[in-house]
Amino acid sequence: MKKYIFITLIFSIFLNISCVTDDTCIQTKYVKLTANFYVVNPNDSIIANRIKGFYVDSITVQGLKYDSITKLYQSVDSILYNNQKVNSINLPLNNNSTVTIFKLKFKNVVDTMRIYHSNINDYLSLECGCIITHAIDNVTTTNHYIDSARIKIYEVNTIDAENIRIYKDTSKIKINKVNTINAEHIRLFNK
Amino acid sequence: MRSIFVYLISSILLCLSVSTAMAQKKKQIAIPADSTRWLNGFTVNVDVASLVTSTFINNGIYSSEAGIQLDLKHKFFPTIEVGVAGASKISNENINFKTNGLFERFGVDFNLRKKKPDSKPTNNLFTAGIRLGMSNFSYDVTNVTITDNYWGGSTIINYPTQNISKIWYEFVVGVQVEVINNFYLGWNLRIRNMISKDITGEVSPWYVPGFGKNVGSNYGFNYTLGYHFWPQKKIKKKTSVIIIQKKENQINK
Repeated sequence: MKKYIFITLIFSIFLNISCVTDDTCIQTKYVKLTANFYVVNPNDSIIANRIKGFYVDSITVQGLKYDSITKLYQSVDSILYNNQKVNSINLPLNNNSTVTIFKLKFKNVVDTMRIYHSNINDYLSLECGCIITHAIDNVTTTNHYIDSARIKIYEVNTIDAENIRIYKDTSKIKINKVNTINAEHIRLFNK
Repeated sequence: MRSIFVYLISSILLCLSVSTAMAQKKKQIAIPADSTRWLNGFTVNVDVASLVTSTFINNGIYSSEAGIQLDLKHKFFPTIEVGVAGASKISNENINFKTNGLFERFGVDFNLRKKKPDSKPTNNLFTAGIRLGMSNFSYDVTNVTITDNYWGGSTIINYPTQNISKIWYEFVVGVQVEVINNFYLGWNLRIRNMISKDITGEVSPWYVPGFGKNVGSNYGFNYTLGYHFWPQKKIKKKTSVIIIQKKENQINK
């Protein structure tokens, strides 16, 4: 019977040590849209080289926010990318709006990109709280530097995924004159 | 530290009580364990560990449970446990969680003590068993704040009165010692595994009554006080004669 007493004592102590719980969030809560840059060269003899990922020499990215007082779009103070050489950008979508606009400045050429999206509340846990994920409905761009943009993966969440492809046509030949590519268009295009 | 202190105190009390029981057992006339009757009464157990932790450890969790354990041939112990539990928790992110609910567990314990021919018959048990636990409860998750660090602004979301059913299974190992006639003290350790997993996108509960913190695998500890109703009658004379005969045989050898 003494061994039962010993086991009782050991288990009781073990239980106390195990009772220490950690209430900190260990999940990532960073929801981001990822856009990659591609260069299009339709005249290349090698088919595989006609569309390739490429680094933009210098890009500055800022959000544009509608100011209800001035009734104008103002740049958000915080700059997401500042004169950086990148082949991919991560962009935060606006949780309180269904349209998010970014100003993309390529050296001296400025384009704007509008992303139409829906917002979804996603409760994670008591430790981590809630995040807002998005589903992209539509993407439009101006065509000063960018030629077109295309949705690749509609769901924007914490998982790394290529959501949008931004194309630059080196031959300066407009492949797609319609710069608005909506979800229906992409579905047809993929078929 | 407080929880460690309380558990150490309760463990020491348990050890003392078990020692007392042993001392008393020596004085008692042995009770045969090989009961021939299939239904050898039943034991009503109350869990003291949950009451102690609910009272002395102020972590917002309370629990109280009791059970009925049938004694079949002193080998199999079908068990029903019922209880009430709840939790009130404010997370590091200032999210409030609150729940209250009933829970039930059904299962069976098996007596692992092998009766040796020359050992004294005893009603003490060393058991292992399984349980199927279930709870249908409601909970509130409120003050969930989402702050947009880039675009600014924050949103507060409340999820009031969420209803859910959870099912889990448990492996139980424990000891029960008869302190005085028909009055038992015991402890058991439980490993719990959730069957009803959280569904992605649902507002999952932080705490499940009867299971504990809602993680895939959990553990529990019960320290029980029990009374055995309708036990089999003790066969004092026969047992005494057998023991005396055995002692005489040992002396002769």
